[in-house]
Amino acid sequence: MIRIRNLSKHYGDLVVLKDVNVDIRKGEVITVIGPSGTGKSTLLRCLNLLETPTGGNIFIDDIPLLDKGTNVPKIRQRMGMVFQSFNLYAHLTVLENLTIGPVKLLGRTKAEAEARAIELLKIVGLAEKVYSLPEELSGGQKQRVAIARCMAMEPEILLFDEPTSALDPTMVSEVLAVIRRLSKEGMTMVIVTHEMDFARNISSRVFYMDEGIIYEEGPPEQIFENPVREKTKAFIHRIRSLDIRISSPNYDLYAIQAEMLTFCDKHFLPHRVSDFTLLMAEEVLLLQKDFSDIHLKLSYSEKDGTLNFVCDSAGEAFNPLKDELAEDDIGLKLIFGRCQTVDYARENNRNILLLKIKNA
Amino acid sequence: MLLTIKKHSSYSIIEAPERVDTLLAIDFEMALLDAGTHEDSNMVIDCSKLVYLSSSGLRVFLLVQKKMLAKGVKLRLCHLRPSIQELFDISGFSTIFPIFADLKTAITEIVNSDDLLL
Ligand SMILES: Nc1ncnc2c1ncn2[C@@H]1O[C@H](COP(=O)(O)OP(=O)(O)O)[C@@H](O)[C@H]1O
Ligand SMILES: [Mg+2]
Repeated sequence: MIRIRNLSKHYGDLVVLKDVNVDIRKGEVITVIGPSGTGKSTLLRCLNLLETPTGGNIFIDDIPLLDKGTNVPKIRQRMGMVFQSFNLYAHLTVLENLTIGPVKLLGRTKAEAEARAIELLKIVGLAEKVYSLPEELSGGQKQRVAIARCMAMEPEILLFDEPTSALDPTMVSEVLAVIRRLSKEGMTMVIVTHEMDFARNISSRVFYMDEGIIYEEGPPEQIFENPVREKTKAFIHRIRSLDIRISSPNYDLYAIQAEMLTFCDKHFLPHRVSDFTLLMAEEVLLLQKDFSDIHLKLSYSEKDGTLNFVCDSAGEAFNPLKDELAEDDIGLKLIFGRCQTVDYARENNRNILLLKIKNA
Repeated sequence: MLLTIKKHSSYSIIEAPERVDTLLAIDFEMALLDAGTHEDSNMVIDCSKLVYLSSSGLRVFLLVQKKMLAKGVKLRLCHLRPSIQELFDISGFSTIFPIFADLKTAITEIVNSDDLLL
């Protein structure tokens, strides 16, 4: 359905897309992941010609997008794009936001457009907001209206550029649920996202972008579990675990816990689990004696739901689990109570404490 | 740390803050000692707002209780959220502290047991 050949995009000397070659078939759900600045947005914008590519070509059902004779507005109509910011018309009601395009650009009658709009609002769960103004909606609701508005134009392909990045964390899942529903109805979709659990569950294929190309692509199992290439491996490792370094006894506990909370939220862990995880960090740090070089690592595996917390510290061999000189064992009791296992090891002249935190 | 304190004839009620961690424990301890032992009155700590408590916070409870017992006044805790209750259970503190479901039952118990003594 979409064929991209030798696509490049330069901004002056900056080569954002070097040589992108890829095919997307009808009904596929593609997620695009990668570090920021690697051209994910640029790729989407080239696809629907919001940007003019520097070289190469894009074919939609064998129609070359970049050839002079191609009817660009007509092709563009086949693609709908949902952005990070919702871009609704502020002075129009939800219903009007959905009908203005079909009436003006597709030549639908008002009645036709309204009937379809109401159908779509039902699909995104907002039938009761027909006459609301955008300002009366939450961020998640606005984004769902934006998706419905896109669908009202009857596109064959939906492009999403980080549709949940501007949302409050509590509203992410309602928007993802809507996208998931559309994917089940066979829409062809290309989604740039930072929501890795989502990407993993929804995609038929994942594109990892780096170095101006689609650096690695494959089914989600491959990309998330067994990436082949070096940079993909490093990226997947980074998103799966949180690394925090401490080099002084005056460490910033609140900053550390804030980072950990963000990590837990990203993986949709229940509040009670994230609260206890933050507590484990405080308790483990209270057990330490040498703060010159501590490396905390929190990682989560969706596959089996395990939450591992490692405290890897420099200094003389010291097992805090068997500290005869400790004032009391209240901290240890909390740690043992909230962990499945707690182990100490001395490796490479470092003290390693490994906690498997209970995920319930 | 500013704690809400309500004084009554035979007891005072103190509201625990949202968070008692290592950094806040000393403040919390001072505030409790100020409010409780100073006046030699029984004390109920209302924990309904408390959501984060570390071992440092538990130690404060222990120390304050010790000081109050020495003076012959009572310390009662009430309205613990489930996750805080769990920490009390894990650490064995549930058996050390009289914990009540809500403020009302805690107060009733304090008042009644005082009557028995008289
Ligand atoms: N209109 C523009 N002019 C100049 N540079 C741009 C423009 N748009 C994007 N870039 C640059 O191109 C690079 C890739 O951007 P982008 O596609 O937004 O990356 P991503 O979406 O992967 O984070 C960035 O370095 C960005 O600064
Ligand atoms: Mg982007």
